[in-house]
Amino acid sequence: MYKAVSDEILLQVDKPARYVGGEVNMVKKDLSNIDIRFAFCFPDVYEVGMSHLGLQILYYFLNRRDDTYCERAFAPWTDMEQKMRENHIPLFSLESQQPLKNFDFVGFTLQYELCYTNVLNMLDLSGIHIYSKDRTEDEPIIICGGSCAYNAEPLADFVDIVYLGEGEVLYDEILDIYKEYKKAGKTKNEFFERLLDIDGIYIPKFYDVKYNEDGTIKSIEPNHPKARKVIKKVIVKDMDSVFYPEKQIVPFIEVVHDRVTLELFRGCIRGCRFCQAGFIYRPVREKNYKTLLKQAESLIDSSGHEEISLISLATSDYTCFPQLANGLIDEYKDKKVSISLPSLRIDSFSLDLMQKIQEVRKSSLTFAAEAGTQRLRNVINKNLTEKDILDGCKLAFDGGWNKVKMYFMLGLPTETDEDLEGIADLCDKIVEKYFEIPKEDRSRPVTVNASASCFVPKPFTPFQWDAQDSFESFGRKGAFVKNAIKRKQVRFTYHNTMMSSLEGVMARGDRKVSKAIYRAWELGCRFDSWSDVFDFEKWQQAFDETGLSMEFYANRKREYNEILPWEHVSVGVTKRFLIEERERAYRAQTTPNCRQECQNCGAKSFGGGVCFE
Amino acid sequence: MNNENIRYRFRFNKGEEVKFIGHLDVMIAFQRALKRADIPIAYSNGFNPHQLIAFALPLSLGYTSTGEYGDFQLQYEMDCDELKERLNNTLPCGMYVTELIRLKDGVKNTMASVCAASYDIKFDESITPDDINNNLKGFLALNEIVVMKKTKNNFKETDIKPDIINVENISEKNAALRVLVNAGSKRNLKPESVAEGFCNYINKEYNRYKMSFNRNNMLMKDKYGQLVSLTDGVGLN
Repeated sequence: MYKAVSDEILLQVDKPARYVGGEVNMVKKDLSNIDIRFAFCFPDVYEVGMSHLGLQILYYFLNRRDDTYCERAFAPWTDMEQKMRENHIPLFSLESQQPLKNFDFVGFTLQYELCYTNVLNMLDLSGIHIYSKDRTEDEPIIICGGSCAYNAEPLADFVDIVYLGEGEVLYDEILDIYKEYKKAGKTKNEFFERLLDIDGIYIPKFYDVKYNEDGTIKSIEPNHPKARKVIKKVIVKDMDSVFYPEKQIVPFIEVVHDRVTLELFRGCIRGCRFCQAGFIYRPVREKNYKTLLKQAESLIDSSGHEEISLISLATSDYTCFPQLANGLIDEYKDKKVSISLPSLRIDSFSLDLMQKIQEVRKSSLTFAAEAGTQRLRNVINKNLTEKDILDGCKLAFDGGWNKVKMYFMLGLPTETDEDLEGIADLCDKIVEKYFEIPKEDRSRPVTVNASASCFVPKPFTPFQWDAQDSFESFGRKGAFVKNAIKRKQVRFTYHNTMMSSLEGVMARGDRKVSKAIYRAWELGCRFDSWSDVFDFEKWQQAFDETGLSMEFYANRKREYNEILPWEHVSVGVTKRFLIEERERAYRAQTTPNCRQECQNCGAKSFGGGVCFE
Repeated sequence: MNNENIRYRFRFNKGEEVKFIGHLDVMIAFQRALKRADIPIAYSNGFNPHQLIAFALPLSLGYTSTGEYGDFQLQYEMDCDELKERLNNTLPCGMYVTELIRLKDGVKNTMASVCAASYDIKFDESITPDDINNNLKGFLALNEIVVMKKTKNNFKETDIKPDIINVENISEKNAALRVLVNAGSKRNLKPESVAEGFCNYINKEYNRYKMSFNRNNMLMKDKYGQLVSLTDGVGLN
């Protein structure tokens, strides 16, 4: 059995199982029968990457092709990186344990902005040139996808291909063309030019970006006759016939989510104005509950997991939720398989369901209120009222729950100190709700765990033009809320403010930001989403040295007529709609959801989903 | 419906493929394999039901083994050969059940039974077979063998001699020892301490990370006080 790293090294690093593969349901193939080698890279540690559903789907999707071998690679933790560099071990895949440099494609999934230095580091550890322009014909083609790919400009100089949309749609076509071109001995450039025929594929080098003197973008123009002016994302229209794996890789070590996952639908009808996922994944497309029950069975049988998770952006919006939930309970109540329901709205139906599923084990309940006052919740179009929350809590407390988790955001557009006080007030009212229960019926003391993230304006949302708060301002607001909370039953924490700032820069960054990313990586930045590794001073140094300003990207309000770095990308939702939404936000006016009344956001152009229900 | 008498004991290998999987994770891998194999494992009662399965002495990370053991309880009786086959079809590569027996009533569980274990130690190239040939006798004749043993908070000098039952020279091309040592919840000696003690004795560097270790077997005492395998004399029939 071949291992890329010697036992001697594996014995000296934390969690060596991260690097050896061999898990149950890992795909093994004979390399001599393979035409295309694809390295699926998740730019974070194994435990995070292995909990990502997209990896599990695409891994089996690509491996269902006999001519293709898709293998996995993750970012080695800092201890392993050091050993690899000392011993000149190039980054390798878990399956064949071979260097990534030998692959045809190295694909990165970009799930959050703070993984960008890991992308660079993984390329470097592989011995692959980091800049696209430096790579030779023998080096792999670097492709990226995922939610951050919709504004991949900060990585545009490093990657060759940006895939806009859902992986199941185009990979067969891309790989077929690649195979044909490889056999015919054509160059990478000829392959890239051929891909320009396909919508959904963005090849950064075929576009030139010019800037104004103030640093804003003057123009984004194709420099190749075949390159489209606007590239539109691709989506799966029929979720029932689309490929879904019958099994999932079962990690040996504990990962973030040790469970099998059912995907109920893609997209979200709600349109919360801060939420990028709510816009980029439109329109909502559901799977039939019968399809899901079948998929659940094969996943459970082939994995041995004792938990199944139903995931989507808002599980309560699934139209066949009662049928699905009851079907799963009937099937699994005697089989010691528990069902987890993230993203569930708390009402009497869902509580009743949770009673059934969890029996005695009472986990905590979560409310994503996002803002402390109704006014601000209207601004962000979060259609959840204080009454909804308090009624939900009352039901939950009566049902025996005593722990409530509350999610909030700091720094939302139009926020005032009154809204921040509202966070404390709302938590206070929840505690009071608990005390309405007669003393003799209270089981244990109540706790409310409130946590706040720092608002990051994202591309393709109505707030894409808004200024983000500075990290100093986030810090002040966090302390303000903490101070406003008087009850000992309420615990309040808030997210790392500097990380949120950096995330804000990356999210709306343009191609110039690549210089700062490269410099930060040179200075040693890695794992920027890990607070024990994150080093904001190095990032500040990197921006200073490359003559760039973080404030320009994060804290500056943009005008509607400014050319945004992602102007040449379309997610279906029109700019006109985003502007209307922003205007409504500033009037604290809510928008009905997709099932109540179509707002003609533009997603109808995909010809499927909720737009045609 | 749990019947406390439907208990089975299995012996399994832990090969190169899974030697970096820790004890707890091996247990979880086993539990998942039981579920994939659709074996009617019994569960505990209570708020958080768990499979009624228990493993013998943990194996250090990085060791291979041909002598790992565990016991489990089923809801109803099944044929041992079929159980073994079903498990081996679903266990991860590198984990393999070599023996599976139905236990007699009242047999103590594996962890409580283990009192000794046999290991093979393969040294790295800095130790030669001649180092062993020339020094093993003298090493074993020492009155005490003191090594630094890790305790909860720090290291402490310990005499390991009383826990060594037997040491055999099995060197061929490479220097190697087969050691039989006390093992279990009462007294336990890791073979790496023997290796360390020997390296100290011959004044050579002890390279823990360059050696390889295999657990050959775990042993218990039978009613005559003899060391026997954990499956000896406890099976039905």
